[in-house]
Amino acid sequence: MGKLERIAMQQDRADGLKATRRSFLLTSAGSAFLFGFARKASASQIYPIADGAPESGAFEPTIWSSVSPDGQININIIRAEMGQHVGTALARIMADEMEADWSKVQITQVDTDPKWGLMVTGGSWSVWMTWDLFRQVGAAARTVLLEEGAKLLGVSPAQCIARKGQIIAGNKSISYGDIVQKAHPTRTFTPEEMAKLPLKPVSKQSLIGKDVKALDIPAKTTGQAIYGIDATLEGMVYARPKLPPTRYGSRVLSVDESDAKKVKGYERYIVIEDPSDTVPGWVVVIASSYPAAIRATDALKVTWAPGKTASVSEQDIIDYGRKQIADKNGGVYVFNDPGTDKAFSSASKVFEQTYTCASVMHYTMEPMNALARLHDGKWEVHCGNQWQSLFLPVIAKALSVPEKEVVMCSYLLGGGFGRRLNGDYAVAAALISKALSGKAVKLILTRSDDMQFDSFRSPSVQTLRAALNDQKAVTSWQHHASAGWPTKVMAPAFMEKGVDGKPYDQFAIAGADNWYDVGPMQVRALSNDLAEATFRPGWLRSVSAGWTSWAYEAFMDELAHDAGKDPLEFRLEHLRATGRNAGSAPNAVGGAERQANVLRRLAEKCGYGKTNLPADTALGIATTFGQERNMPTWTAGAVQVHVDRKTGVVTCQKIWLVLDAGTIVDPDGAAAQTEGGALWGLSMALFESTKIVNGNPQAHNLDNYTPIRIADAPEIDIEFIKSTEKPTGLGEPGVTAIGAAIANAVFNAVGVRLRHQPIRPADVLAGLQAKTAG
Amino acid sequence: MKKRIFLAGIAGAGLLGGLGFLAYAWHPAIADITPPAASSFSAEQVERGRIVAAEGYCAECHTRTDLGGGPEFAGDYQMKTPFGAIYTSNITPDPQTGIGKWSEEAFRRAMHRGISRDGGNLIPAFPYDHFTKMTDQDISDLYAYMMTRPAVHLTHRPNELPFPLNIRLLQAGWKLLFFKQGVYQPDPTHDALWNRGAYLAEGVAHCGSCHTPRNLMGAEKSGSTYDGAVVDGWIAPPLNANNPTPTTWNEDELYAYLRNGVAPLHGSAGGPMSPVPHRFLSTVPEEDVHAIAHYFAFVDNAAVRAKHDKDALALAMNQSSVDLTHPVVDPDAKLYQGACAGCHYNSAPTPASGRPELALNNALWLDEPTNLYQAILRGFTAEEGQAGVVMPSFYNALSDKDMARLAAYLRRTRTTLPPWTDLEKKAAAARATVETIPVNSSH
Amino acid sequence: MIKFKLNGQYVSVDVPEDTPLLWVLRDELKLTGTKFSCGIGECGACTVHVGGQSTRSCITPVSSVIEAEVVTIEGLDPQGQHPVQEAWRDIQVPQCGYCQSGQIMQAACLLKTYPDPTDEQIDGVMAGNLCRCMTYLRIRKAIKQAAAAAREETPSHG
Repeated sequence: MGKLERIAMQQDRADGLKATRRSFLLTSAGSAFLFGFARKASASQIYPIADGAPESGAFEPTIWSSVSPDGQININIIRAEMGQHVGTALARIMADEMEADWSKVQITQVDTDPKWGLMVTGGSWSVWMTWDLFRQVGAAARTVLLEEGAKLLGVSPAQCIARKGQIIAGNKSISYGDIVQKAHPTRTFTPEEMAKLPLKPVSKQSLIGKDVKALDIPAKTTGQAIYGIDATLEGMVYARPKLPPTRYGSRVLSVDESDAKKVKGYERYIVIEDPSDTVPGWVVVIASSYPAAIRATDALKVTWAPGKTASVSEQDIIDYGRKQIADKNGGVYVFNDPGTDKAFSSASKVFEQTYTCASVMHYTMEPMNALARLHDGKWEVHCGNQWQSLFLPVIAKALSVPEKEVVMCSYLLGGGFGRRLNGDYAVAAALISKALSGKAVKLILTRSDDMQFDSFRSPSVQTLRAALNDQKAVTSWQHHASAGWPTKVMAPAFMEKGVDGKPYDQFAIAGADNWYDVGPMQVRALSNDLAEATFRPGWLRSVSAGWTSWAYEAFMDELAHDAGKDPLEFRLEHLRATGRNAGSAPNAVGGAERQANVLRRLAEKCGYGKTNLPADTALGIATTFGQERNMPTWTAGAVQVHVDRKTGVVTCQKIWLVLDAGTIVDPDGAAAQTEGGALWGLSMALFESTKIVNGNPQAHNLDNYTPIRIADAPEIDIEFIKSTEKPTGLGEPGVTAIGAAIANAVFNAVGVRLRHQPIRPADVLAGLQAKTAG
Repeated sequence: MKKRIFLAGIAGAGLLGGLGFLAYAWHPAIADITPPAASSFSAEQVERGRIVAAEGYCAECHTRTDLGGGPEFAGDYQMKTPFGAIYTSNITPDPQTGIGKWSEEAFRRAMHRGISRDGGNLIPAFPYDHFTKMTDQDISDLYAYMMTRPAVHLTHRPNELPFPLNIRLLQAGWKLLFFKQGVYQPDPTHDALWNRGAYLAEGVAHCGSCHTPRNLMGAEKSGSTYDGAVVDGWIAPPLNANNPTPTTWNEDELYAYLRNGVAPLHGSAGGPMSPVPHRFLSTVPEEDVHAIAHYFAFVDNAAVRAKHDKDALALAMNQSSVDLTHPVVDPDAKLYQGACAGCHYNSAPTPASGRPELALNNALWLDEPTNLYQAILRGFTAEEGQAGVVMPSFYNALSDKDMARLAAYLRRTRTTLPPWTDLEKKAAAARATVETIPVNSSH
Repeated sequence: MIKFKLNGQYVSVDVPEDTPLLWVLRDELKLTGTKFSCGIGECGACTVHVGGQSTRSCITPVSSVIEAEVVTIEGLDPQGQHPVQEAWRDIQVPQCGYCQSGQIMQAACLLKTYPDPTDEQIDGVMAGNLCRCMTYLRIRKAIKQAAAAAREETPSHG
């Protein structure tokens, strides 16, 4: 069972569901080979309004797809479309197995309905968690169409093949559309039967692994694509929040609307009452237009009694984390192998370093927004969101209504990156509508609102320790990491259990549980509760794997240098597919050997060891397993940097990445995801970060938040290892190897070791100076 | 060119006094007339008068812009002075509130000598120190044009000048000290084109009103002609050889600027200068604009300075793309990339049309960041600058600190001049001059 | 009433003069292809053309465009087949797509200035357009492809 399936079961248990959502999902997919699943007419307008619901008489073999009498195939997608072209990739899986004519395939992004099961898009899981199901669904549809087609052609099924939307027997053929029109198939399958259906061998796959034009792209080039912020409803009013001075615990003392009233279009303000405590202390301005809402919010004067975190700084949170790490007690052990303590107490030397990372903002291009109303007895919330299954219940709780009275309507996401896993903005919109007796209201956060209210990536502190013997060989390993835990704050039921049985946030430690064979390991996750009290820590692209790798991959280089070894050789020596690192089917076949393989291939590609680079220019490498140990995407990255000794500016000149993600369903999409991930990694390493000042992120907009722009993007050379293993994920691995590779390259270029991310010119200069002085 | 803040010359008057002064200051009224019929003027003369009016920008200061605007030439335009607002006269032929009862002689006396029909002295905000240079023919044509405009009955609001500045008689003191009467006399050492340009520039177009600094008494400083001055919170740059832009204002650049509002190697007309090309000089015979351009190319010594232009242009184009074509982490460069470069980036050898090159623009080369700040804060409407094209207003987009960062960064990377000082304070001061505050889309 | 030309047709809107053009386009005229993002003219998502020049509509008061010609992504080409749009689809540039209307409008303007742009010219002119999905490499590639296509469409006779 994959991690997501386990997570789903945990959520179902937490919700006290008898028939679990997950099993419902499986039986729906498995046994619902029937007509009659009522489709909501309001399937969202993600793309330029397509055909909406299928024509009557369509064959809807499962809730996941339908075939119309005209041959049009609709595939329902429950994953959020936020740039990964997920609908296309998933539809390819099913269409390939179904032998559909790709030109007749369309996709529908669906609204929330319990029948879909767990609706979450994140963790680079989508392809991996849909792979088996959609192949089976496709096979089931193909089987039925083949049987019915054979009957219509008057031949036996054995004489028929399915190919590109047709059943063919010799020189006779019939299209899927005609089969649906004439035969009205009704066969049903049990889940067991469906699981036994023969799947096409890899060699017969006609769509998977082939280049494809993503279905969501054309509308994104003409202005026709509809995002959450574009949703409108008749008679809606606009809302903008007046945010409290602290994320939690601020209490409204007084509101003065005298100046706001002077703004034409201002209607009223609302002090939000939120039983779910998602948006405590919010005051919201209602106006007839959004510009009026902006102005009136600026003019509205609110006095709060601030919460306790009004003076917390980034440094406070880092210092707190250091203290947590220094304390042997506390935290949760992800690994706590027997023999660790003994190895450390008997070590001839303990090598220890501490690494920190600054706060990083999501800065999705589309600021948070949601449109809500009460309509026909249901609360509708229209927005782009990555985790409807998590936030629909919160909305229900906030509104004090049963979950069945809430529906979330899906739209394109103008950027997710994990921000929209947190649906706090959707909760706010619903509450505002409630205060207006269910009137349609569109909540939009301005950029500065959006940044202040972000669930940004927590600052983190990590200490790594290696026990070394006389030969400087590593005999044991410790990794301690303190950060704010998003899952604890927003989805505690989804936390994993450590070896000591205590819950921990896997998304605040993943990566540290690495595949190196370094003797007994301790990996300890610490929940930085000062961070959690000050802001709402968020999941951000590649989650902890984006910063644990910053520490342990720099540490590997430091260890290698300390031992007088080449960092590449040193890593390869420790990537041995034995014991825990042997790997297992289906997700991690081959184990650490596959990681060693991508690293070796990377070294060839980037010319590792070349000596002809200009002065103060060097390569650096790092290797990771993507985001999660249970779903490894074997990743190796190299960068070439130049360090300007005069200014301290580090310039990344080129990036190489080699990845093994199993089967690549959509090669161009996979490359796109990896390019984006790599540049995120670069941006966080050298360009963007903020710090917490007085309980809030200091950055409020692009004048003081500086993600990379086009001129900053270097050439990137990406290679995917050919594989027929189960596909894993690609949304995030690209991020993970870059930061540490840059830190390692800076060391190789000028001999300065930097352990704080981002690397700023001042840090480089200070390092150079210290080196000269030393 | 409008709204020139001036000081009424009361201090000068105080030095004098006595009957002798009164004799100087007193002028007889000129008798009322019945407004002449429009048909009494030939169409040709009216058209010539239209051109004269356009070359003198009459409509700019004689048309109300506040309170939702007013009819053309009907006056009541508010000019702010440190002492209080004054309001311009109605110059339509309305007999009660305009100049309908003015004879041509009265009109000529006003233009040439700064005296109202009733004998009172006109406040020198009315630039008769320049109009005195106009020929009788031009004034006659202008009279014809004005008297054939629709009569508008509109009384301007009372001036808010405090005592004793409000005593018109005392304006005579100023006149005594600073006013030199007399029609333009051609300079025989120059050709006809030059003399035509000088006649227009010094006379009806009254360029010095904005571009020559004024003394404490509000008169143009002799010896500082065209040294540049502050007008309405903008700097009217020097028009002589002191102009600091890297490439010379040669005749072609000047012509393009005055005619279309855009000079390829200098940028576009903004602020109070904007109407000069767009509303006026684009409507007059192009020979006249050529003449003015020819004259100022002489005034700024273009012929001599132009030999540096090639190098200056090359340097500017090199500076233009600093930090834009390679990775950059400097936060100030990042701000410039985000806010400005999309429109202001240029690559060698010359700036592209529609991409004003800041490395060549006086906004970066003047002694103060005034014009840079004004452009950033106000932007340009489609009417201003390059016609049909807009620069947004960064009033809400950039804080005083952000503007100061940008100003310092651009001065540092795009010019060879010493840094500006007190940038944040000056940003706040420039911000305070903006009256209509746009909607903020961010905070 | 404020009047301007939008995608070739005169439109009149009754809004306060200081209303940013962006919200007039999106909420009054229902053209939502132009996007709100930073609100301070530094990300380019709201880019439209005014008088043929790329312009950040989020900080442009609508009073600035009186009588001007405004073109949005919806009007760049009646069939959505501007060479830049074609190249964007062919190279598969958009990911989330939110910034891409602005990127395309900026790129179309770039090609008017620099019909055969170098990497430097692309980086310089596109500097103000942020893409959080980081599609920058594909933007460069697509602009060059669009430039080549546009040159083929309008062969030079010189």
